[in-house]
Amino acid sequence: MQHVANLARREEARQEQVAIEVANLSHVYAGAQGAVPALEDISMRVGAGRFVVIVGPSGCGKTSLLMMLAGLRSQGQGTILCHGRPIPDPDPQRVGVIFQEASLYPWLTALDNIEFPLSLRGARDRETREERRERAEAMLKLVGLEGFGERYPHELSGGMKQRVSIARGLVQDPPVLLMDEPFAALDEQTRMTMGHELLRIWSTTSKTVVFITHSLTEAVYLADEVLVMSARPGRIIDRIPVALPRPRSYEMMATDVFGQLRERIWQQIRKTP
Amino acid sequence: MKIVVARLALLALVLAAWELLPRHQIVNPLLLPPLGDVLGMLGELLQRPQVHLAIGVTAAEVVVAFVIAVPLGAALGVLIAENEYLGDVFKPVLFYVFSIPKSIFLPMFILVFGISFAQKVAYAAFTTTFVVMLSAAAAVESVKQDYLLVARSYGATRTQILLRVYVPSMMPLLLEALRISMIFNFTAVMIAEMYASRAGIGHLIAGWGENFQMRQLFAGVILLAAVAILFNETVRTLEARCSTWRT
Amino acid sequence: MRRSLTLPAPATVRRGMLVAVLLLWELVPRTGLLPELFLPALSSTLAVLYEDWRIYSAALLVTLYEVALAMVIACGGGIVAGAVVGGIARLRDLLLPVFSSLYAVPIVILYPVFTAWFGVGPESKIAFAGIYAFFPVMLSTAAGIRTIDPQFIVAARSMGATLTQQVTRVIIPASLPTVFAGLRLGGALAIIGVVVSEMLTAAAGIGYLVTLNRTILDSPRVFAALLMILILSVAYYMLARAIERRMVVWQSAGRSPKAARPENAVVVPA
Repeated sequence: MQHVANLARREEARQEQVAIEVANLSHVYAGAQGAVPALEDISMRVGAGRFVVIVGPSGCGKTSLLMMLAGLRSQGQGTILCHGRPIPDPDPQRVGVIFQEASLYPWLTALDNIEFPLSLRGARDRETREERRERAEAMLKLVGLEGFGERYPHELSGGMKQRVSIARGLVQDPPVLLMDEPFAALDEQTRMTMGHELLRIWSTTSKTVVFITHSLTEAVYLADEVLVMSARPGRIIDRIPVALPRPRSYEMMATDVFGQLRERIWQQIRKTP
Repeated sequence: MKIVVARLALLALVLAAWELLPRHQIVNPLLLPPLGDVLGMLGELLQRPQVHLAIGVTAAEVVVAFVIAVPLGAALGVLIAENEYLGDVFKPVLFYVFSIPKSIFLPMFILVFGISFAQKVAYAAFTTTFVVMLSAAAAVESVKQDYLLVARSYGATRTQILLRVYVPSMMPLLLEALRISMIFNFTAVMIAEMYASRAGIGHLIAGWGENFQMRQLFAGVILLAAVAILFNETVRTLEARCSTWRT
Repeated sequence: MRRSLTLPAPATVRRGMLVAVLLLWELVPRTGLLPELFLPALSSTLAVLYEDWRIYSAALLVTLYEVALAMVIACGGGIVAGAVVGGIARLRDLLLPVFSSLYAVPIVILYPVFTAWFGVGPESKIAFAGIYAFFPVMLSTAAGIRTIDPQFIVAARSMGATLTQQVTRVIIPASLPTVFAGLRLGGALAIIGVVVSEMLTAAAGIGYLVTLNRTILDSPRVFAALLMILILSVAYYMLARAIERRMVVWQSAGRSPKAARPENAVVVPA
């Protein structure tokens, strides 16, 4: 039985295109008291268009892993491939990143913030100002903020800021989106709404998403697959496929399947010291 | 530890340059006498009764002005911090006051008190009061409302709240307020003495400058700078001790 | 603590106080409560300004010239030095404690040194006021630069910003509030430094007019100069504030809470 399931899974993996492939990644950083092993032998494979959520205790190196996937931090040993090519430096055409705090530039309006990555390309790009503006406005509309383009970040609520942030991540149309606890600073209700919104946007754009969170409910609600990481040094200790149908709805949270998945992740996390 | 060594090396470098550049005529020794000569002069000055008297006068002015300004400024500061309305009215005014050179009022103090001890004290107390006021208000406002609520919910009396919540949580800021007020106070006394006086270190320094006695002048500058830095560092050490719980 | 409805708005009270001060300035000497030597009436003071307009405007020009050059030293040098010291961790750890210790020294005692070196002309005022304002501007800039959220840079890199773009598109706009605060502080201090030094030893400028007329006990002329200095400093402060508000609409938003720590607020004696 087990054997058959493995065969089927291998077949599936061959058919689908692989967006991110990490093999035997280890990382040690120099701390104040000598070398600290941060990541240990991480291997993972994310199929194109999949929504993968990573959960784990604080300080397990989730963010480090994400920074490496984005090319923002030099990696230790092992390989990271993004659509078959390594990513030594940030490449916004391939990977977009959305951060924990909204990290919007307070001196730019919402629309200018969304347009910012496009404007960086400047001369390298043949796109005209009007075209860039149009694209930014289309993104604003996609995240449901039409009419708020001229507001400055401090004039927006936490949820709205994170919507702008998502729009900024999507505007260059990268096939892969990395999200580092994007909703951590939001209150519970806004957080659920934003998760739902994210799924809606994801379903219309067919991106590959790697999403980091502390919230087990959020993990199960969003993911195709949940990766559980151990405390430092971070290892992947469990991979849990979430077989809930899509589109997801709030009612699913009350189901037994949802509860069991949540419980399984919780058991894995509390095992780690 | 390494950084302290680096800082000491930097200091040694500056002092060595001060000694060697004028000594070898790279810098005109008439304009900048070598450090050795200046320190020699400082030793000599500290023997003179005239200098002892000047130090005594200046110290007395500094202390009396401080003793007047601190309670006065603190009371006013607490008033504008505790009373929201008075705060709304006066806080913007204080910011304007800070951009005004208070020295322009010196002639008024001279007219009222003459060129005297009282005039120096009055002027210094006047300028220092504003600083104390602002820092006291900041110190009171720094006490978190949560602390007060918790204390009250456990049935603390007014005195208990004052002694066990306000004072300890304000302590680091209070010391900082005292330190900064003292810097202001010292500066004000110096300006007043340099402007018009018959006694005090400021008076001596201004005189040495006018008569181009550079060795005496630099000796005076070193003495005052050393006293100011010593006071500042002492209070800063205390501050650091009182605020170990602050992050 | 709700404000009771019977109290007038704070701004109204402030305007009322200003009017009261001006009225008292006129009435107290006129009614003989204080002799004109102590406090000349507002009208006599204004009359002097009108009569001697040439003298006062010439003195104002000298003062403004000195203030402008002192500002170049203090703001230009202070903002650049503060950005360098605040931005580079090693330099910051090495130098910031040194500068905070030096900050305790009353700089005014250096003024006789400057007059001995540069004479009683504008040079000594420019040097003194420049140095006097330099340190606070530098310290506040260094503190301000540190409050820039490092996440701003990480985000820019993730969006593919080059090093030049990180500086021009992120670091410079993010430091604007700090730079404007430095300009406001530096200008106010340069004015204070110039006026103090002109009062101490000088041959020209508004501060000189204060001292000159004080020694000959010509109170209306002292107060005329005093009034000009008051107007100059308040006008500069208001102007700087207005420019700051226009240029930095987003103000303190988006900076880390460290910015509110009192040690970052630099106050300066005078």
